[in-house]
Amino acid sequence: MSLFKKMLRDIKINRTQFIAIFLMAFIGIFAYTGIYSEYYGLVQTSDGFYADTNMADAWVYNTDFDDASVEKVNEFTTQSDRQEVIESQADLENKPDVTLHFIEKGTISKFYTTEGKDFNPDDSSGVWLDARFADARDLKVGDKISFEFDNQTVTKEIRGLGYSPEYIYEVSPNSLTPDFYEMGFAYLSSKSYPQDLKYNTLLVKYNSSDADFKDKLSSIDYLSVTKKEDQLSVSKFSDEMAQHKMIGNVFPIVFILVTFLTLLTTMTRIVTHQRTQIGILKAVGFKDKVIIMHYLAYAFFPVLAGSILGLITGPMIIPQMFYPSMMRSYSMPSWHPGFDMSFIYIAVLMVALSVLVTYFSCRRISRENPANTLRPKAPHTSSKTFIEKSRLWNRLNFNIRWNLRDASRNNFRALMVIIGVMGCVALLIAAFGMNDSMDELKSWEYDDITHYESKLLLSKEANPMELYYILNETNGSFIMQQSIEMKANDVEDTVSLLVSNNTDLISYTDSNRNSIEIEEGDVSISTKLAKKFNLTIGDKIRWHIVGEDKWVASKIGQVHAEPISQGLIMSPDTLEDQGLNFTPTNIITDEKFGENFDSIKSTTSTEKMEKSWDQMTSAVMMMVSVVTFVAVALAILVIYNLEILSFTEMEREIATLKVLGFKTKILRKLLLTQNVFFTAIGFILGIPLGFYFMTLMMNAAGDSIYYVPTLTWGNILLSAVITFTISIGVNLLFSDKINDLNMVEALKDVE
Amino acid sequence: MSTIIEFKNVDKIYKTGDHILKAMDNVNFTIEEGEFVVILGPSGAGKSTLLNLLGGLDTVTSGQIIVNGHHVEEFNDNELTSYRAGNVGFIFQFYNLIPNLTAIENVELMKDIVDVDIDGLKVLDSVGLKSHANQFPAQLSGGEQQRVSIARAVAKQPTMLLCDEPTGALDSKTGVLILNLLQDMSNNKGTTVVIVTHNAILAEAADKVIRIKNGQIESIVINESPKKVADLEW
Repeated sequence: MSLFKKMLRDIKINRTQFIAIFLMAFIGIFAYTGIYSEYYGLVQTSDGFYADTNMADAWVYNTDFDDASVEKVNEFTTQSDRQEVIESQADLENKPDVTLHFIEKGTISKFYTTEGKDFNPDDSSGVWLDARFADARDLKVGDKISFEFDNQTVTKEIRGLGYSPEYIYEVSPNSLTPDFYEMGFAYLSSKSYPQDLKYNTLLVKYNSSDADFKDKLSSIDYLSVTKKEDQLSVSKFSDEMAQHKMIGNVFPIVFILVTFLTLLTTMTRIVTHQRTQIGILKAVGFKDKVIIMHYLAYAFFPVLAGSILGLITGPMIIPQMFYPSMMRSYSMPSWHPGFDMSFIYIAVLMVALSVLVTYFSCRRISRENPANTLRPKAPHTSSKTFIEKSRLWNRLNFNIRWNLRDASRNNFRALMVIIGVMGCVALLIAAFGMNDSMDELKSWEYDDITHYESKLLLSKEANPMELYYILNETNGSFIMQQSIEMKANDVEDTVSLLVSNNTDLISYTDSNRNSIEIEEGDVSISTKLAKKFNLTIGDKIRWHIVGEDKWVASKIGQVHAEPISQGLIMSPDTLEDQGLNFTPTNIITDEKFGENFDSIKSTTSTEKMEKSWDQMTSAVMMMVSVVTFVAVALAILVIYNLEILSFTEMEREIATLKVLGFKTKILRKLLLTQNVFFTAIGFILGIPLGFYFMTLMMNAAGDSIYYVPTLTWGNILLSAVITFTISIGVNLLFSDKINDLNMVEALKDVE
Repeated sequence: MSTIIEFKNVDKIYKTGDHILKAMDNVNFTIEEGEFVVILGPSGAGKSTLLNLLGGLDTVTSGQIIVNGHHVEEFNDNELTSYRAGNVGFIFQFYNLIPNLTAIENVELMKDIVDVDIDGLKVLDSVGLKSHANQFPAQLSGGEQQRVSIARAVAKQPTMLLCDEPTGALDSKTGVLILNLLQDMSNNKGTTVVIVTHNAILAEAADKVIRIKNGQIESIVINESPKKVADLEW
């Protein structure tokens, strides 16, 4: 009981240290569980959503799937369902694009109703509408809505609002981020199709391997097939998750490691500091077990409290910081923070390790015979370092000699300060570097490559005369942008294709962001793809436009670099040499364009595109801010903690020097020299480590992102300012204590 | 009176690296129950080592220490702990109180070790510190702290009190007060008291004076008529 009181009072008196321990455990666990909880939340919610709605394993496309081919497909699949998927314009202001799904059975990729009735495949007068679109358009269950397609109009009553697993990510061709006012999707019964229903999409579920499935699929006629992981919404969302995961893989682990390290050092020091008290307790007859248990509590309670608080608040707070920006880009019926048993394990590990290291340092002391323990520990004896032996030694001034000697006698403490600083600097460099890299990507794409002001999306039924009129009026240029499926060296991927003449409106760039010309005759491939497909100039590739089945072979004549999309670039002539038609999809112009033409479906400006880029990257940028914040907080705690330890350890020595007549100013300088020296070493070592973290994360930024991480002087300087400010600030705080140092107290013998 | 403590051919050698120090060299003596013993010697003679060995804080290199018929030198760590808890009350030069416990809590701390019901207030009263019961060591003077330390030592009713320079850090007036208290423990309560000091004057108050030098016994003198501490010429 008395010992418990002793502990409470010890903690109260050394509260800054214990609060620091508590905070470190808290921040470590908070950041770790919070960031992972966000990631696991995405995985668990999307997996749950896919499972609940029985998401398709693959989509097979054809002009019309008849009953016979469905029967054949049923032989090697577990489930199948046909749909007619068709683009339509809703009869609302601005004619938004709504993709209509006329469903035969509604068993695969089911509509997830959040409001109104569940989807009914026999209801020919109802429609189930995209909840995000309905929200943007202020449509309610019971409202009537009309869709126009193929010169016909259908009008239905809204039966339900909700989500579809195929539309977690839905964008128009003109934008990176969804505009729910301009686009949406709707599910209808196949019975409500006006006439001559032709199922153009077959959704399937299968147990066999993808290759096996594709192999067997050749027994029916079809145009193309898309696997689940290649579907735009699925792949986009899993790219996003992969990026979160990578950030989650690097940062929380560094947080935890730095926290462990500092925690362990601190606990060791606290116990070492209580050495003579351990001696007293032993001398009066306390059993080792009791004494050790007593000190274990010192580590156990603050670390446990910090861990539990972190475990609760991390998953509660951090995911909620990300989900709002995620929700702007992605649509799911619910967003929940995830949970993983590893959260518990890491918290238990944190508590257990702290207790363990306390146990060992306590046992080391209690193992000594009590007569020794009652005396202060004899200082380390170490042989002279080579510097001390050299002639140079006597020429060095007292400050440097004292510090060199102190560091070599206390190399463990020196090492801990260096490693602690190193970890924090690495985190800062990586966080700032990420921030910079994202900015650089943006300026590369929108300053160096894009020189046009407006990009006009052409409608499919555009009038060629009108287009040429617009082209002349705006001084614009035709481009064609398509998704293509590309094959080479046994690798297969869906990438983007840009067909354009050399124009002042778009610059093509190399890896150093210098502009280059696209040569006639051969295609140019982006650096990242060339690497992925293992291709060099002169190699052949095979590709086809998604939605068309004509495969063509091309030779790579050039390699270019693109920051935010990866694919092929070629001139219209080159395209036509391949036997394909140049069918422009856009007009780009450096004029603002506001007129209405039937041939122009929509217009977007560079400014708008930059905005949607910002929105798309907002989750990552949020992650970067969280990391920066935690890194700074951790840096303060770690440096503060390590320095409080150094100071208390050196207190007697400093007091002695003070008694001997050294001026406070000199003593301050003494402390500062050591501190700045260690911080500088940690800082220098932290830079390459931080750069390595940054590279890891940029590599995970997604398949379509290409960027060579660079280390800027600005970031190094910023990290230096933060690290050294904290370090010197904490140091000044302590050197103020030199003034207050009670020489007599400090020099008194034990206790 | 019966013999309660016996040192037989005790050696203690310290080794630090290749440096060897013989702190106890063939030491033999006995102490009777209830005796007030003073161990005298210059600094570094081995006084504290002797006390530490007797109190079970340190172990012999060779030889025997027999206390109450038990061979202390054969005890393992656990047995030494129980031995210290049950038989030995320590009083140190620098009091060695637990700084974050009040006077009474320092005394009642002993409840956790021995199976004796301790009334902390009563024990503090016996050393004249009842009114300071709730003060922390830092709020007490040196003499007061030493009295708390004596109270802590006697609270568990040990067989012997071992005092290492108990007045070393105190002024002479306060020192007399402390020594008086210790002599009283011996004379009136029958507790064996062993005091280590370099203050030769105390010899006149002791029942037995053991002088040591360079780790060896120089002389053992039995004082037939010891003076009262209060009557000593300081």
